[in-house]
Amino acid sequence: MASAGRITSLDPAQASTFGALQLLSALGDTLYKRTAEGQLTPALASALPEISDGGLTVTIPLREDVLFHDGTRFDAEAMAFSLRRFLEIGTLSYVVGDRITAVEAPETYRLRLRLSRPSSSLENLLTATNLTPVSPRAYQDHQDRFLNDRFIGTGPYKLTSFRAVQQRLEPFKQYWGPSPSNAGLDLIYLSNSTALFGAMRSGEVDVLLSDSIDEDQRLALNRMAGEGRLREGQGPALVIGYITLLSNTPPLQNPVLRRALALSLDRDLINERVSHGLRPPLLSLVPPGLPGGDVEPWPRHDAARARNLFIQAGYCNGKVFDLPFTYRSNVPADRLMALTWQAQIKRDLADCLSLKLDGVESTTVYRQLGEGAFQAVMLDWRGAYPDPEAYLAPLLSCRESQGSFCKRGEAAISGSFWTAPGLERILLQSDRSLGDARQRDLERVEQMAAQGAAYIPVWLVTPRAWGSTALATPEFDGNGQVVLARLQEVR
Amino acid sequence: MGRSRELLRYTGTRLALAPVMLWLIATLVFLLLRVAPGDPVDAVLGSRAPEAAKAALRARLGLDQSLAQQYLDFLGGLLHGDLGQALINQEPVSRIIRQALPASLELSVTALLISAVTGLAVGFTAIARSEGKLDLAGRFYGIGTYALPPFWVAMLAQLLFAVTLGWLPVGGRFPPGMIAPDGSGFLIADSVISGNWAALQGALRHLVLPACTLGLLLSGVFTNALRLNLNRSLRSDYVEAARSRGLSETQVVLRHALPNALLPVLTIAGITVASLIGGALLIEVTFSWPGIALRLQESINQRDYPVVQGIVVVVAALVVLVSVTVDLLVALLDPRVRY
Repeated sequence: MASAGRITSLDPAQASTFGALQLLSALGDTLYKRTAEGQLTPALASALPEISDGGLTVTIPLREDVLFHDGTRFDAEAMAFSLRRFLEIGTLSYVVGDRITAVEAPETYRLRLRLSRPSSSLENLLTATNLTPVSPRAYQDHQDRFLNDRFIGTGPYKLTSFRAVQQRLEPFKQYWGPSPSNAGLDLIYLSNSTALFGAMRSGEVDVLLSDSIDEDQRLALNRMAGEGRLREGQGPALVIGYITLLSNTPPLQNPVLRRALALSLDRDLINERVSHGLRPPLLSLVPPGLPGGDVEPWPRHDAARARNLFIQAGYCNGKVFDLPFTYRSNVPADRLMALTWQAQIKRDLADCLSLKLDGVESTTVYRQLGEGAFQAVMLDWRGAYPDPEAYLAPLLSCRESQGSFCKRGEAAISGSFWTAPGLERILLQSDRSLGDARQRDLERVEQMAAQGAAYIPVWLVTPRAWGSTALATPEFDGNGQVVLARLQEVR
Repeated sequence: MGRSRELLRYTGTRLALAPVMLWLIATLVFLLLRVAPGDPVDAVLGSRAPEAAKAALRARLGLDQSLAQQYLDFLGGLLHGDLGQALINQEPVSRIIRQALPASLELSVTALLISAVTGLAVGFTAIARSEGKLDLAGRFYGIGTYALPPFWVAMLAQLLFAVTLGWLPVGGRFPPGMIAPDGSGFLIADSVISGNWAALQGALRHLVLPACTLGLLLSGVFTNALRLNLNRSLRSDYVEAARSRGLSETQVVLRHALPNALLPVLTIAGITVASLIGGALLIEVTFSWPGIALRLQESINQRDYPVVQGIVVVVAALVVLVSVTVDLLVALLDPRVRY
């Protein structure tokens, strides 16, 4: 199986790349899993969490038949060790934030989490691959530092060989669940899209993951699958592409101008021209399929309405708004998107708006985003777990604000510096409420965000994997990762 | 002063200047990395990590210290042979270099052999039919291979030989289904030493395409150098003298003209080796060859300061070493060289 991205660390407290998380999902288990249909099912937990104390205590019963790859038994102490370790040194520990205040093991197979506030997203958080347990014995000397080149977990595979560019997995014979459908896997890293595409086409690899495939090659693979020369599997779309607008300084401080920009974007055209229909248009910050993701609060393309708003903001009729639009120069799809939008604006609104494109390498973009360096910038986001909280909070949460100016918080880090009175309260409330009430809160948050128009959702990225025709179609789980244990030959 | 003393003095001067050169390069890299936009802490934690977590990591990595202190720590470590740890995963930089350098050297040496043999053969054949069609073809070959963009040729070779014809692997250094033999990191040598012929075959199959692409692209330099120098040698007085003594043309060329024409080629070979050690980036990226150039590119993207600094210093040291060795070889072989 081939994918892009060298794996520099296999420590769940450190891993953040797509490739590393994909590998960890096969080597480890989480307390709960989300199926491709979005259903939460217990994995290392034996039942759904028991909530008590007004939502501030969560007790999780654990399976009693689970072994780590080093032969030690998985129990509540082991899970508590792993969670505490993640909270202590995990590079993504901010994903948990201040929600979990204590992790306890009151009984051998019962784990207890003390929360600072009730959190309806906690169940989905517990499906995050970064929270997979590790063997306390194997990590005894690595409680406060990372163990990068080994992994001792409970998953269906154990790691038998690790190099940054090549790994070998073999089935773990004492696995508690169904045994893998294959006799083992070799994962290789190829550094560029052409090599990945070539390796799949020439039959050098059996499975290819799509995370770094250029659009043309993705289309070619898609067509090959359509012709029956490959098998294509699709996972839930959990990556969103969006534009961030710097909303605390002129000229984009003016919400009318931001709304005009939102209306000026022809997502259907961009989807067609950039991805040949493989990146569906997005009108929400939450991917469809997640709670709150089925509404479409952002307006569709409407050049006439956009023109009216530009006129209202003092542009058109001889005064053109020159907008510097930054894209990540090392992301080919972003460059194509920028070029297409620029051409589309020239066609529809040349007398009102002009985009000045600026390609900047992504490391620099992320470094300067929170400094307010970009008026408008194309980015993408993948939530650390499949829950609206993992999409809305990182873009909209604000700890300190003045009017609609966010001084400190996620909205500032995201480069928009935008908030709205009451937004933070509803956002927090949406993580406390359940069922229909939560749905209503989420919709309200999105309506406010769409009205503020500091972000413009552009497209959804669907994870794809291609397999040879000798294999069954690759299957995905609800976290957008290929279920490696189900890769099997077709007899 | 005797020639051997001159040579000794020259060698001493070159070796004494090498640390100064390395210090200058190390300082330049250190400063350029700090000036470049991008924060290694963001690369490790992500831009969304809380400020407290960022500050803690910055302190742990020593990035909260003044630039001068960081520079002194870097130089101090360097003097003790400590290249530091990668910011991304705290792996010792020396281990990263030890893993990646053999891959680059294996590719570079093979490519150099291919380029020298092919280039010299084409150059020699061309001069044998001076001003004829073969000479013209040799000139075209020399200019063409030199002018072609490496990434374009590499991608075409990849598409043709790996994707379309399926003769060779598309990238990587070793077959996915095999475990590479342990040892020095030079897979071909390790396979031979361990008697693992399947591994040897796998390693060679992966080496063929990148090494041939790189080798052929470089061979034009050798072709042109040999053609020009051999042409000049064949018109010189000592060659005329040899001819007038009744020696055959083969003897004239092989014994008198060729040795003199090859001396500048040796210098070119040295420069080529030096550029190859760190300069095969496009080939390594295209063929996913896990060498030092690919690692350098990734580390620059991640703003992993210690890895970039370590790689640059080690590559610079190798370049200096090769350059001094070639100079000494030329001085030893050519009595006309003065210092």
